Amino acid sequence: MATSSVYTPAGFNFSNQIRNTFLQERGVPLPKATSTGTTIVGCLFKDGVVLGADTRATEGDIVADKNCEKIHYITDSIRCCGAGTAADTEFTTALISSNMELHGLSTGRKPQVVTAMTMLKQMLFRYQGHVGAALVLGGVDATGPQLFTIHPHGSTDKLPYVTMGSGSLAAMAVFESGWQPNMTRDDALNLVKAAVAAGIFNDLGSGSNIDACIITATHTEMLRNVETPNERVQKERRYVFRRGTTAWKTESVRKLIVNEETTIIGGDAMDTS
Amino acid sequence: MPDMNSLAHPQQHQFNPYTENGGTILAIAGEDFTVIAGDTRQSEGYSIQTRYAPKVFRLTDKAVLAVNGFAADGNMFVKKVRQRLEWYRHAHAKDMPLRAIARLIQTMLYARRFFPFYVYNILGGIEEDGSGAVYSFDPVGSYEREACRAAGAAQSLVQPFLDNQIYFKNQTPAQDTSHPVHLPLHSVLALVIDSFTGATERHIEVGDGLEMYVVLARGNPALQSLQDLPGAEEVTGTQAEERVFVIRRDLKKD
Amino acid sequence: MNSLAQRFSTTSPLAHFRKIQRLADEDEDVSDAAWGSQAGFGSLTKGVPTFTVPNLPDPTAFLRLHTDDHADPNCRIKIQHGTTTLAFRFQGGVIVAVDSRATAGSYVASGTVKKVIEINPYLLGTMAGGAADCQYWETYLGIHCRLHELRNRERISVSAASKYLSNLVYGYKGMGLSMGTMICGWDKTGPTIFYVDSDGTRLKGDLFSVGSGSTFAYGVLDQGYRWDLTDEEAQELGRRSIYAAGHRDAFSGNTCNLYHVKEDGWRFIGNFDISKMHYEGPGDVPGAPGGGYGYALRVEGKSSANPPVAEAAA
Repeated sequence: MATSSVYTPAGFNFSNQIRNTFLQERGVPLPKATSTGTTIVGCLFKDGVVLGADTRATEGDIVADKNCEKIHYITDSIRCCGAGTAADTEFTTALISSNMELHGLSTGRKPQVVTAMTMLKQMLFRYQGHVGAALVLGGVDATGPQLFTIHPHGSTDKLPYVTMGSGSLAAMAVFESGWQPNMTRDDALNLVKAAVAAGIFNDLGSGSNIDACIITATHTEMLRNVETPNERVQKERRYVFRRGTTAWKTESVRKLIVNEETTIIGGDAMDTS
Repeated sequence: MPDMNSLAHPQQHQFNPYTENGGTILAIAGEDFTVIAGDTRQSEGYSIQTRYAPKVFRLTDKAVLAVNGFAADGNMFVKKVRQRLEWYRHAHAKDMPLRAIARLIQTMLYARRFFPFYVYNILGGIEEDGSGAVYSFDPVGSYEREACRAAGAAQSLVQPFLDNQIYFKNQTPAQDTSHPVHLPLHSVLALVIDSFTGATERHIEVGDGLEMYVVLARGNPALQSLQDLPGAEEVTGTQAEERVFVIRRDLKKD
Repeated sequence: MNSLAQRFSTTSPLAHFRKIQRLADEDEDVSDAAWGSQAGFGSLTKGVPTFTVPNLPDPTAFLRLHTDDHADPNCRIKIQHGTTTLAFRFQGGVIVAVDSRATAGSYVASGTVKKVIEINPYLLGTMAGGAADCQYWETYLGIHCRLHELRNRERISVSAASKYLSNLVYGYKGMGLSMGTMICGWDKTGPTIFYVDSDGTRLKGDLFSVGSGSTFAYGVLDQGYRWDLTDEEAQELGRRSIYAAGHRDAFSGNTCNLYHVKEDGWRFIGNFDISKMHYEGPGDVPGAPGGGYGYALRVEGKSSANPPVAEAAA
């Protein structure tokens, strides 16, 4: 089999880097990456961890997606919320999710949350912040409930309640005033909802709905759109365009079926009654 | 201790008196009325400074001014225009006509040609001949009379919608018919509300509240329906024949 | 320290600016009472414009920082640019034709701009560059043309009017004004065009085109221009040239405004939609060839995209 004679290295392709830097210096703006302006949070409670996120994705001032998913799957009992460049958060979590699955298969054990955290921080550190992912990682493993934040440059924190993204200050204000050790599941969920709501209403980068995920030793419950406080109101008018509204220059009608002829060969015609 | 080098040369810091406070304004002229609207959110960066900061101001009983851009410049500019209108009233014992206010705003903006007001103005109201009118300005005073205009953060979202629905751009009329030249008040109000709910959905700096000013020409048949409209408040100043109303609506707060 | 030194120096831009205002103040001595109230009108408090300038050592740099979108696409105050304007002199007077598009970056800020400024019934000015600069100073020129009439009991010549404008904007050279204008009219010497811009250039000529689409307009104009054009032919040439620019230049377009200056003053010929001209032509106007300006008509049944009917059937 013939193989390509061009060498293609593994990993990121930097072939346009010099050109793009040149263009940027000439004042050509780079294309805007979709970013999850975002409020993402997580907190520990009595027998597990609750993660929360808003659902707005932005491109500069414009809302790109009103209901995106920011709580990503890592393993059955580990989830990761992503803030920053949407593509970076999605692909890093997906990559680490794959590696965690393989790790689980090769060790024959349920992988730990610290393992995912270490894989993530090592990858992000290697790319020196150019992979713009700010993450909240939570889950339950053999060592109990675990909660981490991972910054784009690779530093990590291990705390009982954490927030990230542009709405992190608003959300942290709620946690600082309301979080207590050993909360019940319902109290923890309500606190997470309140924290995300604070981000949604007070931070312009966050908005729309609340997603939450409750992880305990035995069960993981993904609560997609657990609260929808920003439903679109009904429009005042109906915008229906009369057939023939769009102008046209020429008209040509083509027959799709050119010709069809049925020849019955022997026997009776098929009974179509 | 500062080094001698930096003391030897004069130090100059960059002078940046401008910021962008988001929000959007819009005005549509009808045959014998004008609607001037704006959202009430004021923001800087990703933070909301206030959920209620009016951007639309009644100047006289037939002129309403909407300002957008840098809020501090906008408020100061409205204050100065009002002062000039009051001086005019004292000198001439009548309100300044709309087209004269438009020219006044041009000269006031151009007086700051070398230190501009960072403000996009839209002036709406009733002309001396009783027709609805909208004047739109750039920050240094170039202006034009139009039938409709959107300005501010979401202008590139709202103006194409208005071009399609008001000017019927890209819509061919049915055989042997033509598009209406002017829309009735209730249609215009509906389009204004839909413009703002739409902009709120897709622009992060638009939301919280909507203020719509309606200026009616004398003897406008829509007067009764507007007086009966729940939430419409009359803000006519004197016993003028033109009537001014405000209609307030909530917008999404996220 | 620095700003203080600059403020009293005689060479800084600010000092230069103050000098202009001082000169202007001496030049005109109109009392406030002339304006009917103490307030005055706009910046014309003393009949002479006065401008607020930021109290900085270099106000021009300040203005450039905040308004020059060529250097910085993110600058906050967008000044409208992009245009095609043309004017030419011929046997039957002057034809003035302009487009109507205003752009701010890649955004079409307006498609209904009036780029011909009616200074008075005998004088027209065109608008290219800063919209406000052109509107304001050509209106201001109108005031002074009227004052000239009152003082001298005769109309101002196109030459004098254009020189007044030229001297005026030259006084602000380097301060950031941006205008490229043609002052067109009919005076004792006949039909006249002067090109005046904010650099201080003032040229007399038969044929000018100004703006981002000028090269496209010149292409059509040069090819069709003769001194002995009839009125109808000349109007059609102006319209066709603006169409060409509107069609090929992204920063020009929407509609064409056409004016004709004759001995008895200017006349507005009409407003023509450029895409309508492309598909259907300018409508029933004198000089129009009938049919659209686009080449769809000329390739019908001839090109591969539009094959002859007989060939298609075969």
